Amino acid sequence: MTATVEPRVIAPQDAAEAAAALAGCARDGAAIVIVGGSTLQSIGNAPRRCEVALHTRNLRGIREYDPRDMTAGIDAGTTLAEIARVLGGHGQWIPFDAPFPARATVGGTLAAGWAGPRRAVYGRPRDLVLGSTVALTDGTLARAGGMVVKNVTGYDMSKLYVGSLGTLGLIVRANFKTLPRPPARRLAIAPVAGDLRDRTLAAIGGLAIEPTAALVVDGFPRVASYPGATVRLVLLFEGSDAVVERGTRDVRSALGKAGVAETLLLDGDAADLAFAALIDAYVDAPGERTLTYRTTGLPTTAWTRTRAAEALGHEHGLTAESIADLRTGDAILRFSARTIASFAGKIAAFDADVRHAFDRATVLAGAPSLRASIDAWGYEPSTIATMRAIKTHFDPAGILAPGRYVGAI
Amino acid sequence: MVTSLASRLLEALGPDTVRSAPEDLAAYSYDAYSEGYLPTAAVIPHDAREAALAVRIAFECGEPVVPRGAGSGLCGGAIPARGGLVVSMVRMNRILELDVRNRRARVQPGLINLDLSRAIATHGIFYAPDPSSQKVSTIGGNVGTNAGGPHCLSYGTTTNHVLGVEYVDGRGAIHHTSLDDPGYDLTGLLVGSEGTLGLVTAVEVRLLALPESIRVGLASFPDVESASEAVSAIIAAGIVPTALEIMDKLITAAVEAHYHAGFPLDAGAVLLVEIAGPRDDMLAGEAAIARIAKQHGAISWRSADDAAEREALWASRKGAAGALGRIAPNYYIQDACVPRTKLPAVVHEIGRIARDHNLPVGNVFHAGDGNLHPLLCFDSRDPRAARAVVEAGTEILTTCIAMGGTISGEHGIGYEKRDALSLVFDTDDLAAMGRVRDVFDPQRLFNPDKIFPTGAVCGEVRAPAAVA
Repeated sequence: MTATVEPRVIAPQDAAEAAAALAGCARDGAAIVIVGGSTLQSIGNAPRRCEVALHTRNLRGIREYDPRDMTAGIDAGTTLAEIARVLGGHGQWIPFDAPFPARATVGGTLAAGWAGPRRAVYGRPRDLVLGSTVALTDGTLARAGGMVVKNVTGYDMSKLYVGSLGTLGLIVRANFKTLPRPPARRLAIAPVAGDLRDRTLAAIGGLAIEPTAALVVDGFPRVASYPGATVRLVLLFEGSDAVVERGTRDVRSALGKAGVAETLLLDGDAADLAFAALIDAYVDAPGERTLTYRTTGLPTTAWTRTRAAEALGHEHGLTAESIADLRTGDAILRFSARTIASFAGKIAAFDADVRHAFDRATVLAGAPSLRASIDAWGYEPSTIATMRAIKTHFDPAGILAPGRYVGAI
Repeated sequence: MVTSLASRLLEALGPDTVRSAPEDLAAYSYDAYSEGYLPTAAVIPHDAREAALAVRIAFECGEPVVPRGAGSGLCGGAIPARGGLVVSMVRMNRILELDVRNRRARVQPGLINLDLSRAIATHGIFYAPDPSSQKVSTIGGNVGTNAGGPHCLSYGTTTNHVLGVEYVDGRGAIHHTSLDDPGYDLTGLLVGSEGTLGLVTAVEVRLLALPESIRVGLASFPDVESASEAVSAIIAAGIVPTALEIMDKLITAAVEAHYHAGFPLDAGAVLLVEIAGPRDDMLAGEAAIARIAKQHGAISWRSADDAAEREALWASRKGAAGALGRIAPNYYIQDACVPRTKLPAVVHEIGRIARDHNLPVGNVFHAGDGNLHPLLCFDSRDPRAARAVVEAGTEILTTCIAMGGTISGEHGIGYEKRDALSLVFDTDDLAAMGRVRDVFDPQRLFNPDKIFPTGAVCGEVRAPAAVA
């Protein structure tokens, strides 16, 4: 944050208090940044100013949960780990697929618009939100949607708040559709050797049992590792025992025919942990000398984008690591320098090259000093004028995380 | 002003695209809900450019713009409540781009829902939202109402399958939204906005791989309540079938007389269950469902063994409303949604309400979703019965709200339920929606008198419609 004075910290006890706090700040013109678990605060630009930090830690709890209805109303400050624990007790879950679930809050995850690799199968968190209550800067609490799984009653306002990064209001509660948790989970990790690369990737194209996630990981040595392999294919299978078993059998056979060495398998909790560590890596920024971009696009181009990133890193004397998501089309690109100083010296030129190379690249994480010198969004979508008008209508005083959002909203 | 809209449209787009004679305009004055007003003009654009030009001219003339797909909407979303310009999408019915490997398609809004899945089936992919109207309703209309269908139990509704839209604003400018772009989720706002935020001229949809296998089972129960209990129990067991549909005795009889799919006529309710996925899960899944059904009082269970049998059952289910024509001259279909576990109680209450008003009622519903469609049978020539239908419909809605539900699961608010919206949302809730409307349509010319409550009941449009 660029503010020179430490922001005043407030932690409202309930929704009404939160709404009153927003109205108070609007009256005083005090800029607010909403804080959950601070796991995704690296998304977007540092706000231009911040006089108040509104923590959601007192707005927590799973308020309405009937496992038979498979719906749950959850307050903003509830951690993803707690949700997993409570729902897990009934064989259910909400596949948030977000980093650092022990700290990450549901409100923050939604506000950040987080969507991980599992969305290929389960949808994005936005798709599982049935309704919401949001505190607005005029001090009102606005509800939308409801606690039913199908609902067409007025605008789907929850979609607007999800992904708005706290620039329109404070999500105080969200209602979710819960899902049955797949009883079996298995992670298959195979090396992707240079000469076998194309055959390996082709081999998984025609699988009858589609993996929940199919990632090609290059670098990130601590997660989903395979002895001796820098690039590896990581496939997550989720479902019944029979389906996971057949999925693995098919993959082994397909990869075997492609000449790939033995596939490593991790089951159940071990698979969950390894996959969670991989998701953490999306936003992990070790040593204050890295910068991570997410590029979006067609699944068929994800791998190519990671190769372009490798070349780009090489050109600038940076190490590139990447995760190509073959199902959703995301490519996560992490660049690192030996020292922060060496990265800082070329950040502007490098960022310009990244924007030139990729249509849709946004900064996901990285050293604050690097992020401070570039625009996290890189471009303005063609609908930016509409987005600006939305901001003005919801936050006329411009107090909610000013400058954080796309187009300096 | 009236002549200026038609003449300006004619000048800009020509007689092939523009309709302005009263006898031609009658076809654009109604939808499956009701008759409305004659519009001032209608256009049938060939592409987004023509549609955008028409919108611009209408706005310049201060005339409303009402988008129209198949006109199959059940809540009056397509009626020109204040006249103006109707934009019919029937000519914009092409698949613009199909990307099989990435499972995406870009389609025009006038494309009929089922035509999309039919066109791409050979590639092993399909478009999941399948409202019962899918043989006639359009993707654009489906986007407008965030349409559901029997299979959204596992696949979700339209909004979960739209990746971006192209829309025209009141100045006639064409915009593109995409979930791949950063920024506010305009796509999510536009889906379900019933044409009140702009005119959608193209839709990018997500496609899914066809399941390896599909099984359909049919259970019969002594009553709707026990069938509903079975539904909750199936879900509670961690099984999410692709569809769980209940039809009561009245509907089953009408459907069987029409389609001869082999539904048992002695049962109080039938439950249609579909599971889909890898073949490895099918036998165990079906056995578990049959066991749960029997535990909850099922009288019979049968599996549809082949595709033809399965399709016959589905054709019957999707044609349920139409088949009611055998029983009553008219019917009024209500759409409401409650938490699944409230189904038995709400079905009981619906029976009581219908009896109080002396109306026969049939229940056909997406039980897995808690989405009810009670059909109230009446004769529109009897004004007393028509009034009773409206009253009973409102009572059903308030009952559903009291049970934690809402007033529309998938048909939308449209013209019909706009005043009922204030039963669900207070002024603060509606004000937030109003801000969005202010951003997109400050002049309130995109499909006016829809969704938002008026506070005053307008008696100019007859309700309910004489359908059937």
